[in-house]
Amino acid sequence: MSEGLVHLLQLLVSGVVTGGIYALVAMGFVVVYKATRVINFATGEFMMLGAFFAWTAMSAVQAPFLVALLAAVAASALLGMATERLVLRPLLGQRTISIIMVTIGLAAIFKGLAQIAWSGDYRSFPAIFPRAPIELGPILIPSRQFYPFLIALLAIVLVGLGFRFTRTGVAMRATADDQMAAFGMGIDIRLIFSLSWSLAAMTAAVAGIVVGIIGGISPQLGAIGLRTFPVVILGGLDSIGGALVGGVIIGVLENLAGGYIDPMLEGTSVKEVVPFVVLVLTLMVRPYGLFGTREVERL
Amino acid sequence: MKHSIRRLALVFAVSLGLSPAARAADDVVTVGACQPITGRFAFAGVAINAGLQDYLNYANEKGLVPGKKFNYVYEDSGYDTDRAVACFKQIMAKHSPVIMYGESTGLGKAIAPELNSRYKVLYASASFSSELADPKSHPFSFISGPTYSDMFSVLLEYIARNKGATRPKVAFFYSDTEFGKDPIPYARKRAAELGIDVVAEIVTKAGAVDVTSEVLQLKKTNPDYVIFQGYIFSPIIEVIRATKDFGLKTRFMGTFWSMDKGIIDKLGQDADGYMGVMPYAYYYEDGAPGIAAMQAYNKKAHPDVKYQPNSYIQGWFTGMVYVEAVKRVVAAGKPVTGENLAAVLDTIKDWDTGGVTGKVTFVNHKAGVGRVYKANAAKGVFEPASDWIYAK
Amino acid sequence: MLIGNYKETYASDEALFRTPATRAWMGVAAAAAVLFPFVAGDYLLYLANLVAVLALGALGLNILIGFTGQISLGHAAFMGVGAYGTAVLASRFGLPFWISIPAGGALATGAGMVVGAPSLRIKGLYLAIATLSAQVIFEWVFTNWTSVTGGIRGLNVAPASIAGFRLDTDERMYFLILSVTVVHFLLASNLRRSRWGRAFVAVRDRDVAAEIVGVNLFRTKILAFMVSSYYAGIAGGLWVYFTKVVTPENFQLSLSIQFLAIVIVGGLGSIKGTVYGTIFMTLVPEMLKAGTGVARAFWPDAQSYLFPLRDVVFGLLIVVFLIFEPHGLAEIWNRIKRFFSLWPFKK
Repeated sequence: MSEGLVHLLQLLVSGVVTGGIYALVAMGFVVVYKATRVINFATGEFMMLGAFFAWTAMSAVQAPFLVALLAAVAASALLGMATERLVLRPLLGQRTISIIMVTIGLAAIFKGLAQIAWSGDYRSFPAIFPRAPIELGPILIPSRQFYPFLIALLAIVLVGLGFRFTRTGVAMRATADDQMAAFGMGIDIRLIFSLSWSLAAMTAAVAGIVVGIIGGISPQLGAIGLRTFPVVILGGLDSIGGALVGGVIIGVLENLAGGYIDPMLEGTSVKEVVPFVVLVLTLMVRPYGLFGTREVERL
Repeated sequence: MKHSIRRLALVFAVSLGLSPAARAADDVVTVGACQPITGRFAFAGVAINAGLQDYLNYANEKGLVPGKKFNYVYEDSGYDTDRAVACFKQIMAKHSPVIMYGESTGLGKAIAPELNSRYKVLYASASFSSELADPKSHPFSFISGPTYSDMFSVLLEYIARNKGATRPKVAFFYSDTEFGKDPIPYARKRAAELGIDVVAEIVTKAGAVDVTSEVLQLKKTNPDYVIFQGYIFSPIIEVIRATKDFGLKTRFMGTFWSMDKGIIDKLGQDADGYMGVMPYAYYYEDGAPGIAAMQAYNKKAHPDVKYQPNSYIQGWFTGMVYVEAVKRVVAAGKPVTGENLAAVLDTIKDWDTGGVTGKVTFVNHKAGVGRVYKANAAKGVFEPASDWIYAK
Repeated sequence: MLIGNYKETYASDEALFRTPATRAWMGVAAAAAVLFPFVAGDYLLYLANLVAVLALGALGLNILIGFTGQISLGHAAFMGVGAYGTAVLASRFGLPFWISIPAGGALATGAGMVVGAPSLRIKGLYLAIATLSAQVIFEWVFTNWTSVTGGIRGLNVAPASIAGFRLDTDERMYFLILSVTVVHFLLASNLRRSRWGRAFVAVRDRDVAAEIVGVNLFRTKILAFMVSSYYAGIAGGLWVYFTKVVTPENFQLSLSIQFLAIVIVGGLGSIKGTVYGTIFMTLVPEMLKAGTGVARAFWPDAQSYLFPLRDVVFGLLIVVFLIFEPHGLAEIWNRIKRFFSLWPFKK
């Protein structure tokens, strides 16, 4: 294989792996939006708290990784439920800007509390996975990315299937589609809202742990949340499959930009700005993304 | 006649009343600081603050400047330039210090016009950016160490001295922040002067999740050395690991902020061979009386602390410079003001710091000296790999 | 209680200050504002300048969100465009401030036009995300277009001067900032009661109905974006002469969020609310600082919790206001006034 081809393939493969991880983060947004029509700007901070919960379990109680993961997920579920009850429920029906701002306010609160509880120091997870990279012929995938990618993929598939085939999942989709009709059919809307936020917090926790394994944990971990908007929009705000596809596309595009355009530039990098340009283009051409449902405006 | 006597008496009485107070104020040298105790730079701010405060207490204990005691006041500025400027003004208004310490280059630049025209206090900051090492535009500012450009110069010199038969190839890997970009133009020039090829310049956001495309660039250009600038841990750790995965034999180097012992702990075995330049000795080094004094003080004041990071030593050394400046101004019989302190900086030549750093000579308001250290993964420490090198 | 305050002409009904009491209070406020720098200390003066500039910028955002109902998460970027525009014209071309600041405002207006263009097709959440992308992209441009913006180092600007009189102290800048801010606030009040102001409100309340009635939706929305970013641009220009240095780190997403918080806490759509909101959101951190300063006596570590506490309090204020008083401080003030004017009756 020529070196140029190997280079390209390596970029593509890494892009897919990274994209899977972006997709997991994006799923935190999608799950909430799918059920409640709310964009949770605090998704990043839910991720950060989930990572801290897991880290605390591992370092304070010496829990093995899987136990810590489950503990973090459980704690996040409770957090999500509490958030919904105390903060989102009173704002039911208010205008979009208010809901956006309340989640932004929540993000600030979580970030501040995390800084108070864990201080601003940078932490890392102990070595969990084998060190050796995965080799596919001449292509290499670092182990620190590959295993988290598997976790992400598993989580996405589980949640996607859950939405598709479980009764609760169907109930969530029904509520998202038409709250009145769902209520009329006997679905407990308030319970669905609580469950959606719990689920969103749980996926965010897993995403946070994944990102924490790769890049370390600090109160700033949540910043990646907003950087995942391009994935969410490209895939469609209410499509889990869309999040996966969008994530992969953005991951690959980022890597291609980094691999081919950046070397030509001196002193700058377009890698982080390319996804946002894609975001703007998506909004201009196809605002509902690749797989999102079109919203029909009712008068 | 009566009028003027009365007035004279009044003046005399007032000056009598004032002078004890004034003399008491003369005995105290107030040092103010805006430290980034919280926020992005917290890990450093807390340590710098501790180091500076400890040295000033140490100076008071040992009576290093006869007849003067140091008073240290500090506020948290959270690594936010607006807050830092507000903090600076507030401390100036409340305590009238003659020496100030700031958290960042941003603060130094923002406050420069007023520092030069109104406040006139000796000023140092946590950043090693070369922008502030310019006595013409920043006469009151100095850097308690080498600038980032100096650090690059030290590293490039080391590379040039240790090259093999071929021209060495170097890649610069830096973040797109002020911190990352500051020394790069100078570094390019210096590399050319030393006969080193800069084969790649890789720029990333600090804390990137995926560094594959960057590492692939390294794979393509195959440099002998990669110098990091503008990061602390992430993504250095990922890059080093990924590069080893790809089987590259590149050696890695860093500057001050990426030379903390913590990076060896985090990298584990992969840390072996990681090098960098440190302007100061490490806390655990033997054979340096200045470091021994630091350890002794810590044993007394912070008995639970086993290790102080690099930023602590940065704060400690800055304290040393402050105290030395005050000592020289007092010895010359001049009043302790910002202007006199700034003027005396240039007289500091070959000052022996007891091994905390090399012999210090302030040129252009910076002390351009550092030493190359190499990581010993087995022992988990950095060991000196060169003598003190002076940047040009 | 206000009895018998009836108007005989349309003009008096639409006047900005309708009762003698209001006019008197405005006079007192004006006098206080003019005397302020002579009695206030350095620090307070600095804060006052900061508040005035922020209020001006926030007013722009209020026009966009409060009057017209469009969402923008990128307000800081417009302020940055204005600031950089002013800085480049001042430092590279040596233009005086009374040209460079309006020029910066004009540049920002252009940027607003571009960013507002998608509002034709997308609304609500999607528009918010589009403005967020604009913020990110502008930040990238500020940092990387080194030849114009000075990159990460930013630009230094000489103090404003009129015919040799240099505005290089906080006191002198105070008068410039105050006058520009007051003028723009009056302009905004005027805008509110004009034809365009009514069009804005119509678009906010029910844009489909507005279109039917004859309001050109696109033009109105674009105009709202333009006015909003003009205000931000002017605020940016003033800010540049105030701090005399501009770097990309000054115009990040966190500033956009701060503006949003000011506007919401102050009261969406209320001009007075913008002032209250800015003062409040600036005062609260100061009170916190004083609080932790006091707590330091009992608990030496209190200082290190100041900034995380600021974040927590900031977030709490937003959440609490949104849940309990969505119309913000302006509404709280109205309630207080009503209480006193109706007393001893309750309603």
